[in-house]
Amino acid sequence: MSGPESEPGREPAHGSSGVPTDLSALNRRRRTPLTARQISTRELSNSLFTELTHPDTSDARRIDCRDELVRLHLPLVDHCARRFMNRGEPLDDLVQVGTIGLIKSVDRFDTERGVEFSTYATPTILGEIKRYFRDKGWAIRVPRRLQELRMSIGAVTGDMSQELGRSPTPREIALKLGVSVEEVMEGIESANAYSTLSLDAGDSGEDGQSNSMLDTLGMDDEALAHVEIRESIKPLIEQLPPREKRILMLRFFRGMTQSQIADEIGVSQMHVSRLLNRTLAQLRTSLSEVS
Amino acid sequence: MSNSPDVELRLPAESAYVAVLRMTTAGLAARLDFTLDDIEDLRMAVGEACALVLEHSDPGGDLHATFDLSDGSIRVAVSADTTVDTDPDEDSFGWQVLTALTSDVRTSREGHLNWVSFTVRSSIAA
Repeated sequence: MSGPESEPGREPAHGSSGVPTDLSALNRRRRTPLTARQISTRELSNSLFTELTHPDTSDARRIDCRDELVRLHLPLVDHCARRFMNRGEPLDDLVQVGTIGLIKSVDRFDTERGVEFSTYATPTILGEIKRYFRDKGWAIRVPRRLQELRMSIGAVTGDMSQELGRSPTPREIALKLGVSVEEVMEGIESANAYSTLSLDAGDSGEDGQSNSMLDTLGMDDEALAHVEIRESIKPLIEQLPPREKRILMLRFFRGMTQSQIADEIGVSQMHVSRLLNRTLAQLRTSLSEVS
Repeated sequence: MSNSPDVELRLPAESAYVAVLRMTTAGLAARLDFTLDDIEDLRMAVGEACALVLEHSDPGGDLHATFDLSDGSIRVAVSADTTVDTDPDEDSFGWQVLTALTSDVRTSREGHLNWVSFTVRSSIAA
């Protein structure tokens, strides 16, 4: 752990004019842990931040301050993490990622802003924990940059479909987001790696390899060649959940585009794409089981 | 197939490489300013066409793909080496999906290659 502001070779100048008069008092307080324990967390936090950001504080002392600030606010992380208990992730893991959020908050906190540190840190810690949940939802580890890009593509696609009356082209999206067409394509590609856990679990291949949804569509499926099997698809379609069945019907019988279906059902185009892919894959799997 | 396709790709005839082909197709369609919906259709169609040709493909053979790009439309043809002389089953699920998503779906035989080709047009083509 190294201080973010540490600049070796640049020792603070002596006798800087901006030294608050209470600095010596503050230092004295720091050297007497007994009194330190008596003052409230808030005061201690404030004085530590003052010391951390003060130009006269040595690098070594800065690192100490930072460590102490992090340690001081660990109960806040614990509190935040507990709000996400019983959601399938161990509390320890949540505390760990939450702590990363806390460290980030300590590094980024601006004492000039006039807000309490805990006010500032709580959303960052919560954000980090939520991101952890979001990351966990991906079957393949996709870089966060791409995940975020995918989300902005999703949002922009919805808006632009409204404006244009059709789904946008990658170039149009790229212009809107200020990224390149290649990046848009990357983002879209990464969307195909997003899947729920159950979907992933149902997909471990017969050869022991687990495939992503990306792989399953082009699967070599001999069973489908048989007419009897085609007949057996009818009951399978009947068994589909209503929404999946509806999407399938809208897409292949009414010839609607994914964006149109998205509007009709009230979900995003990407979600329709996923559901369609999943449904087709499911049908395929069920068919091969029948044979 | 047409005399000289704009893009040609040869991959191992394994379903794992179909993902690569789908991605490449999407990239080409993006260059042609296809909409996301068109690209998604195209991607799905390529997957289904590959499933059709890979069904009777020789293990260890090649998967061939050619693309003809024009303004507002893209014609894709895929084939795989095969010793079995059968056309893709037009009753199959994959065929149904393919004909629903694309136009001019055709099959042809060229030596030991079974081709499936189709066209997807951009929905914003003039």
